[in-house]
Amino acid sequence: MKKKLRVRDISRLGSTDLTEVDPDALLPLPPPYDTTDGLPAWKELKPEARERMVCDLDGVVALSLPKPESEEEERKYVDQFVSGLQKLFTRENNWTFLQPLTLALEYCVGCQTCSDACHIFKASGENEVYRPTYRSEVWRRLVKKYVKPGGRLLAPLTGADVDLNWTAVSRLYELAYRCNLCRRCAQVCPIGIDNGLIAHEMRKLFSQELGWAPRELHEKGTVLQLEVGSSTGMNQVLVKDNIDFIDEDIEEETGLDAHTPWDQEGADVLLIHNAGEILAWPENPGAFAIILNAAGINWTLASEDIGYDGVNYGLFYDDVQLARVALRHARTAKKLKVGKIVMGECGHQHKALMTVADRILTGDMRVRRESCMTLLEEIVFSGKIKFDPSKNDFPVTLHDPCNIVRNLGIVEPQRRILRYLCPQFREMTPHGVDNYCCGGGSGFAVMSGNNFTDWRVSVAGRMKFKQILDAFADQPGPDVRKYVCAPCSNCKGQIRDILQYYGALEKSGITYGGLAELIVNAMVDVKGPFIKWEMH
Amino acid sequence: MSGSTLLALSYGLLAVFFFSFVFRSVRLARLPIHLRWELAPIPRDGKRAGYGGSYLEEYEWWKKPREESLVSEMAYMLKEIFFLKALWEHNRRLWWFSFPFHIGLYVLTAVAGLFFIGGAAAALGWPGPGFGLSVLLRVLSAVGCVLGAVGAAGLLVSRLLSGKLRIVTTPVAVFNLALLLAVFVTGGLAVLSVPDYAGYGLGYARGLFTARPLVGVPGVYGAHLVLVLLFLAYLPFSQMMHFVAKYFTYHQVRWDDRPLEVGGRMEREVLDLLSQPVTWAAPHVGADGRRNWVDVATEEIEE
Repeated sequence: MKKKLRVRDISRLGSTDLTEVDPDALLPLPPPYDTTDGLPAWKELKPEARERMVCDLDGVVALSLPKPESEEEERKYVDQFVSGLQKLFTRENNWTFLQPLTLALEYCVGCQTCSDACHIFKASGENEVYRPTYRSEVWRRLVKKYVKPGGRLLAPLTGADVDLNWTAVSRLYELAYRCNLCRRCAQVCPIGIDNGLIAHEMRKLFSQELGWAPRELHEKGTVLQLEVGSSTGMNQVLVKDNIDFIDEDIEEETGLDAHTPWDQEGADVLLIHNAGEILAWPENPGAFAIILNAAGINWTLASEDIGYDGVNYGLFYDDVQLARVALRHARTAKKLKVGKIVMGECGHQHKALMTVADRILTGDMRVRRESCMTLLEEIVFSGKIKFDPSKNDFPVTLHDPCNIVRNLGIVEPQRRILRYLCPQFREMTPHGVDNYCCGGGSGFAVMSGNNFTDWRVSVAGRMKFKQILDAFADQPGPDVRKYVCAPCSNCKGQIRDILQYYGALEKSGITYGGLAELIVNAMVDVKGPFIKWEMH
Repeated sequence: MSGSTLLALSYGLLAVFFFSFVFRSVRLARLPIHLRWELAPIPRDGKRAGYGGSYLEEYEWWKKPREESLVSEMAYMLKEIFFLKALWEHNRRLWWFSFPFHIGLYVLTAVAGLFFIGGAAAALGWPGPGFGLSVLLRVLSAVGCVLGAVGAAGLLVSRLLSGKLRIVTTPVAVFNLALLLAVFVTGGLAVLSVPDYAGYGLGYARGLFTARPLVGVPGVYGAHLVLVLLFLAYLPFSQMMHFVAKYFTYHQVRWDDRPLEVGGRMEREVLDLLSQPVTWAAPHVGADGRRNWVDVATEEIEE
């Protein structure tokens, strides 16, 4: 099927999937992961679920889009889609990305250089539907036909042969969520065409015009965050309670001051974590508290508004939600009159607040923003804390979060720390700005509906798992404990899911965690090991 | 084709080329400033660019002068323009055709430039090229046509035979390559078959300045000129304008990491864009066609 797939097949009617994931074609993994024996089977979609939800792309359902009840409803959505498509090309509705989108759609020469750079396409065994240009070419032809003047008339000449119908719209919606928006494809493109941006714009159209977005990113993401304060659902009372518990536990465990100051007006540093850390990886905010206190930093967390959750899922699917969240982060910092916001170990938070939202933080909303990587580097090499690198004498590799490294160019600070504190640090191949996405990027790490987790781990995360295994190939057995440093909340969530799915702790002794944990683990004054060799 | 017809066609098609080229380029340049969307490496970052680092690697980066290297940026651009570095590194198989194709185009563009300069000089009384310059023009044209034809043919065959290229290949993409292949082939035939190749070229260019038609244009030469003119008139409307687009994708998207400065020109431009009404229809946006970006983005934080 995959060799015969044509671009126009996206609108091919029928209840069959456009493609399917072929387990035998997937990128091979080294032993003992070269067999599917013992691995959890993919979650079966029940017939009633298939009857209820749209499921005709690749047998995977990320979005649980209900099927329309009538042809009239289908037509309504198609019309809305066309309306949204047209708005994407207007200055007033999409000034935010009009130039990059126009460039990406009009000047691709179809050289396919991007394809070999895409971890999803390669890991899937080169399934044509996951080819970065497939999605973009469908979009391009729709724009030529339904947005450009005379598009339908000129379609036979321009090759705009994709018909717009409900099938195409619903498949495109799913297909927009088969790209991690990691932009590795854009990085290798000789012309600078950004297929990731095209996927991003598709998501925006669905969200901003049709009101369609993954529940995890919208209702349970930005909407919940703007209403309650955090996409985790924690309000300011709960977050303070949780941090109090963490501080107590960490102080007891390490014998060091892990007290977290709250809402300190005029603090030099407002640290904003991804609130998911507080619930899923409490040792990370605990480690930050130890490091900042030990270094004598005048810092604070914010309990007001949304100041305790750096998440901004709007980055992945909706410019309006992106702006709302970013402006409220800035407002929190202004209210507290802090010197700067420091991003916690969260990649998309870095990208959203440090760069993408930079140009909407105008006038009195302007606030200085910095990465925790540079602050941690400053502290580690300041001499204020004594370290014993031998405490970290186990194999360590570094996963580069795309949003911090490829998209912001923050490459070396975290490496300088690891080279100093981890005697057995080794790089993945490739690494730095050439890294591969973990497969959890663009919100995937928190999306787990239906059988999407199976796809996310087996296909999207496959290349990263192979990189991790290759980095530790010299000591593959479980007897040697190994650490994947992933200084990003979403990446950690994805790597946790990958390692758990394959049983990598038991089979290979591989666990994962953040950067701050490694720093604390190497502190001379910390009693006992800080890193727990367990899967959590 | 008579010399007069060729001259009239030349003025018409060159005018189409010129105005469309300017219009399309200005259109790209005048697209509004967008949200930051940079992508490492940014070669302007000098020594950091080698590994893709940016100024954001500096502790409290706003307190430090940004180290920028125009030399690094220029070196990157020259390698990309003249050696197609990205294709060499990431798509070597296609590079073997794309490189000669582009070099052929560059050489022929340079030859055309020389003909125009020579034509202008001839219109002002320059007696014409000597033997050496004639040979040089002929040799350069031959080199350009051969490289271009090999490249265009290779790209055309690849596009038609390679499954991965074929999936996104449109009739227009095939036409573009076929048109350029025809330009190169007729140019090569003209170089081979017209004894006074350089003389005709300069005569044609001089005619453009003096409005005097060229008499007795050899058929293959005329065909080549017509194809070049048709190509030029068509170029601004095609994907082949990617050489202009590339400036914007690199300089205004990938490499544009300028932070906003309060009171600066960028801020004024952004404030103007933020004051535009929004018409997105999803209920959560809260747009009604009158409320602008500031209204919809700040409604959640209005006290």
